[in-house]
Amino acid sequence: MKILSLSGFIPEEICDTIRFIGYQGEEKISHYCGYAADYISQVLEDDSIDGAVFPKSCDSCRIMGSYLSNCKEKFLYQFGVPARQDGAAETYLAAEIQQYQKAVEGYYKVSITDIPQRIQKVNERNKELISLYENIENISYKFYLKSIHDMLQKPLYEQTVLSELPDKPANGKPIYLVGSFLSNTELAATIENAGMKIVGDNLTESKRLFSGPKLDPSNDIYMDIAAKILHNHLSPTQNNFRCILKNDLEEIKYKNVQGVIFATQKYCEPYDYLFSIYKKMLDEQGIPVLQVVMSNSTDNRKLEFAVEAFADIL
Amino acid sequence: MALSSTQLQAKLMREYYKDFSKYSRGKPPQKKVAWVTAFTPVEILEALDISYFYPESYAAVIAASGKEQTLLEESEKQFLCRDCCSYACCIEGSLTLKEAPRGMPPKPDVLIATNNQCNTLPNWWNILAQKYKVPLIILDYPGEAANLEFAYDYVTKQHKELIVQMEQLSGNKLDLECLMELIEHSQKSVESWNQVIELLPHREISPTLFFDAISFLITSRCKPETVELYTLLAQELLEFPLADLSKPALFWLGYPLWYHPKRYLQELLENCRIVGSNYITWWSLEYLGDEPFQKLFYAYNNTFLNLTQETKRKKLTGCIQRSGAAGTIVLHNKSCKCDFVSACDINIPQAELEIDMLDRTFVNITKAAQQIELLIESVCTV
Repeated sequence: MKILSLSGFIPEEICDTIRFIGYQGEEKISHYCGYAADYISQVLEDDSIDGAVFPKSCDSCRIMGSYLSNCKEKFLYQFGVPARQDGAAETYLAAEIQQYQKAVEGYYKVSITDIPQRIQKVNERNKELISLYENIENISYKFYLKSIHDMLQKPLYEQTVLSELPDKPANGKPIYLVGSFLSNTELAATIENAGMKIVGDNLTESKRLFSGPKLDPSNDIYMDIAAKILHNHLSPTQNNFRCILKNDLEEIKYKNVQGVIFATQKYCEPYDYLFSIYKKMLDEQGIPVLQVVMSNSTDNRKLEFAVEAFADIL
Repeated sequence: MALSSTQLQAKLMREYYKDFSKYSRGKPPQKKVAWVTAFTPVEILEALDISYFYPESYAAVIAASGKEQTLLEESEKQFLCRDCCSYACCIEGSLTLKEAPRGMPPKPDVLIATNNQCNTLPNWWNILAQKYKVPLIILDYPGEAANLEFAYDYVTKQHKELIVQMEQLSGNKLDLECLMELIEHSQKSVESWNQVIELLPHREISPTLFFDAISFLITSRCKPETVELYTLLAQELLEFPLADLSKPALFWLGYPLWYHPKRYLQELLENCRIVGSNYITWWSLEYLGDEPFQKLFYAYNNTFLNLTQETKRKKLTGCIQRSGAAGTIVLHNKSCKCDFVSACDINIPQAELEIDMLDRTFVNITKAAQQIELLIESVCTV
């Protein structure tokens, strides 16, 4: 079973998936998120992948099944993520998680019996990740992010959190990083090389991965997993911008952040909408912001000039 | 004396815009106001005597009045990326500059967004919520692909919760019989509208008429005047001359071009017939079931853009076949990712145009003309 998953909404407590990091693919779709298009390319082109699971959380994901409809030989599953975070949404999502489990079991002819053990493993891993994040001011963010990307490529039971990561210079200007999955870890290196240090973020693979409540395997596991997904640090696709602004601003203030770098994919509407009010919020606080727009999952354009110029104004 | 269809249209428009003019003169509206997306279960709001306003429709009106460019530019100054839905950008510009052809809409008391057409609208509504500091309600419709039982429970809980919230807002108590009656009006509006659009392939009627007339199904579907209007319109259209069948028949697959005086590229299609459009079928909601919550569930969970690709393909293929179209003009609309993929399984000649329904600068008209010419050639030689 080699299922390529897109987004942190896919519950890792159910079964192993390989987290999509980036891919240089053939699919080019106009007005469409390059990151999502690269995911489609990998599902279509990579023979080592035998399945794909993706959420229905933004317009690019919503119509992904249409672009994959000729891919008959692989397991394809669109995971419904509620656009709300209330009790009704939790109940619905719990049922959706069970549907997902049944679909995997049916397609791969397996019986999934180790969910409590997987919950335990996720709890332990996340505890270590939280410790790492709490020390984020002192470690190299590039290596931090890269180590998580590498970890998410592995089966859950083989995932280990690196505790020994290179230090970062102590006197950098404190920066907060906003965005979805950051395929381009070079951006982090560019930021650090320009004399800034990332002291917090809201990335999918970082804070959003481990910010939800710890699960108790003795509870209703599906309801618990659902609650965790819905109450992790929120994505703009979950349509609660107020909550995102409030939580991010608290951390930004607490960590005395001097500037924010807002990294987005071209044609990623949820982040484009969020940016319009995020920028206004930061302007009111007198905190400068730099928006960096990448065209696809492997975009590694020379961003040094913009980042260096931003470092200079701080 | 019975009203003509033109008088009925004027009456419905007056009713819809009455608070705009009052508000622009500094008078607050008498009723509570909700800003809603186009597939909101407005029957609930109507039953509770809450006014509702559709920003998307107003963006179309703004473009039709030729004012959209300044507003789109203004939205960029407000940090809203031009890649976002043009409806959102246009309204953002309008609200900032306080410029709009029929005056400014009354401020909302509540914002209600649904995700049964796209995921963009709830994002846009979040921006509005930040601007107006009023409650934001997201109605989440899992769509046809979801497990029916779970989806029904989930959606119905939301509808019931919406009723409670709107009762608190309006101070009125919902009467289920009244709700059912309004749903029946909506059903009848849909039935009458379906009779209207059936005439498009057979009569010499410009698609402009349909693109404009559908606005009442969007903004006033549960009002009895809308049923009356479409019934009259169908009768009037029956008097139109029969279509000239010697002209190539084409299907318009996408939004109307709101900025265009004819709402489609009429100047490039003078020798053709537009015999159908998927847009004019989108609000033909199917209120299935027996009781109000069932009907609301089926109507709003299974909107066209919330169906599976397979169902969409079947519906669209049927629609094109019934129209008799030999080719399609497919709009790859910058503002709507979701609509474009509806066309991906259509197996008749297509001209795929890169375009936007609102931003008139977003089209290479020379290229579009060449594509349409090629399409007509291929249709005529089939």
